[in-house]
Amino acid sequence: MAVTRNMDPKKCPMPSQDPNVRNKNFNEVALGYTYEMAINEAKRCLNCPKKPCRSACPVQIDIPAFISCVANEDLEGAYKVLSASSALPAVCGRVCPQETQCEGKCVRGIKGEPVGIGRLERFVADWHREHVTETPAAPAPNGHKVAVIGAGPSGLTAAGDLAKLGYKVTIFEALHLAGGVLVYGIPEFRLPKSIVQKEIDGLKAMGVDIECNMVIGKVLTIDELFEMGYEAVYVASGAGLPRFMGIPGESLKGVYSANEYLTRINLMKAYKDGSKTPIKHSRKVAVVGGGNVAMDAARSAKRLGAEEVYIVYRRGMEELPARKEEVEHAEEEGIIFKTLTNPVEVLGDENGEVCGMKCVEMELGEPDASGRRRPIVKEGSEFVLDVDTMIMSIGTSPNPLIRSTTPGLETNKHGCIVTNGDDGLTSREGVYAGGDAVTGAATVILAMGAGKHAAKAIDEYIKSKNA
Amino acid sequence: MYKIIEKERLNPTVTKMVIEAPFVAKKAEPGQFIIYRTHEDSERVPLTIADADREAGTVTIIYQIVGGSTMELDQMEAGQSICDFVGPLGVATHTEGLKKVAVVGGGVGCAIALPVTKKLFRQGAEVHAIVGFRNKDLVILEDEFKANSTKMVMMTDDGSYGEKGLVTAALERLIQEGNQYDEVIAIGPLVMMKFVCAVTKKYGIKTVVSMNPIMIDGTGMCGGCRLTVGGETKFACVDGPDFDGHLVDFDEAMKRGAMYRDFEQHAREAGCNLLNKEVK
Repeated sequence: MAVTRNMDPKKCPMPSQDPNVRNKNFNEVALGYTYEMAINEAKRCLNCPKKPCRSACPVQIDIPAFISCVANEDLEGAYKVLSASSALPAVCGRVCPQETQCEGKCVRGIKGEPVGIGRLERFVADWHREHVTETPAAPAPNGHKVAVIGAGPSGLTAAGDLAKLGYKVTIFEALHLAGGVLVYGIPEFRLPKSIVQKEIDGLKAMGVDIECNMVIGKVLTIDELFEMGYEAVYVASGAGLPRFMGIPGESLKGVYSANEYLTRINLMKAYKDGSKTPIKHSRKVAVVGGGNVAMDAARSAKRLGAEEVYIVYRRGMEELPARKEEVEHAEEEGIIFKTLTNPVEVLGDENGEVCGMKCVEMELGEPDASGRRRPIVKEGSEFVLDVDTMIMSIGTSPNPLIRSTTPGLETNKHGCIVTNGDDGLTSREGVYAGGDAVTGAATVILAMGAGKHAAKAIDEYIKSKNA
Repeated sequence: MYKIIEKERLNPTVTKMVIEAPFVAKKAEPGQFIIYRTHEDSERVPLTIADADREAGTVTIIYQIVGGSTMELDQMEAGQSICDFVGPLGVATHTEGLKKVAVVGGGVGCAIALPVTKKLFRQGAEVHAIVGFRNKDLVILEDEFKANSTKMVMMTDDGSYGEKGLVTAALERLIQEGNQYDEVIAIGPLVMMKFVCAVTKKYGIKTVVSMNPIMIDGTGMCGGCRLTVGGETKFACVDGPDFDGHLVDFDEAMKRGAMYRDFEQHAREAGCNLLNKEVK
């Protein structure tokens, strides 16, 4: 059916909670398109034959195909296209950095705004969840067992793809709950946990087993998993331990890693009245770092009632690694950006509580090895920021539990697992790895892409071995 | 779910529980810990493993009621099940090559000191166990220490049992009597471990302490359990919980340990009020 194209140069704005209301609650910020908005937005897609958007998607969703289904009001058809490539469409529609992926390549973006691909993906996944009750049937088993370590985005994706091919997949999760960063890291207001749970329930319906409270490397080694009859193992154990700056005062009370702060709030529900997990209710908070995790921590602190919340970042606004939308949302909610600023010392009072943060101003010099302009300290620019809490969000270093208990598993100088190109094969036969355990802290969608590639490689490996 | 096989009160505030957890039991070694959650909405709480029976598939924990979360666990009875029980976490205590060791335990820390005492004694080492409690009513595991050591010294703060005084006094006396220890292992309150280290440093005896900081995931993700050891940031969950006591910054650890004291106090009072209501 031919549709009348919508030539509006702007994408339909996302209905959202008012910034001054939402910065006091943990409900989802973006409310989602209405049916009419979605159909209209879908009609902006030119259905380009070359599909540049698709090639920019780490899991290669056939984007024009799903959008043309939406334009034709065939939402279940759109969902089928999405789910053929993505195990977690309701998640990706919310947390992917679309501006640097699909939407960054959209032809409509040349003379206006790109098609709201992420918003449409979210709309279709939400529509499916709310309207379709039948669960997908478990595929016919092929008699082969695969173990996945870690129930985060990468492990869930690999498990989903392998289950679709008939593999008996068991995911071993260290925490008491599956979801990884989707449940302990990304806050409720950006990704409601009920949505994550629903996606996980879908995997279980396909026959995937999830064993929680199993810390691989401690309770079982990878070699023991092979002895138990698993023919391949996919290691998706995540980014690991938080980094600190190594400046004086980082052990004062009131200094958190973003991982700890967010885990208390998200996984342990410290934001809810009556929660048994304590969290500091701060007055003035500095979050050090400029990524998505820093934005999540800052916006969470604001919601817990902090009067002033700063993002302290050593480069400029242009260099912030966070998604553009997260930065905009944070600004709207009253987060104060102290860019070109770097902490040099955390100050404590007589009780060992944080009472300030000594900072220096920075300026940008020549580009460094990463291609970004190197921040240089401005002489004599020292000042004290009045804060009672400091949250460090400057990245992670890999968890040692698996590499230290898996002989022959090669890791690089940073401790990340070394893999062979795109398929995730490690230095050990039958052991594949992907996501943050390989790349260091990155995005949900890149981890999912790695899970997809590894699932394909594992399938080929097991088939060739049994041929 | 993890079933409680046995529950026994060792003193008015210390309880022993045997939990069915075959995977954990199979791998548990002295010095390692578990994390439990009593109910779906409970906190994650780390506890050092007191014993493990590989054949029966059970793990023993011994805990003191200090806040809302241990109180919640203490309301469970044998036959009931707790929600989560994950482990064994952390690095096991190194015992290889040790010929003569003093193990110093304080209070409920004795529960954690016992498994390593046993292991050392069974591997043929000469083991001096120095155990300290506030008073006679709080003494636990006396027979077990006696049976698993070459010499046991019982100390109480008030002299109501054994000798009057602190464990550090007993340790120093044994050292002065000419006992040459390969290593001292100290497990107990931070302040006790700090002062044991002060004594052993004087005599140049290597000392290992078991740290029990605030922790959430316990698997190397949150960074809440960080300590300063020899000027470096270390994580008790994956680098520890054992550390070289002469390098640990105890003063900092004590301050960090008190971070949520008000919250715990509040939880304990709320819990007590709830119990009082139930009693009425």
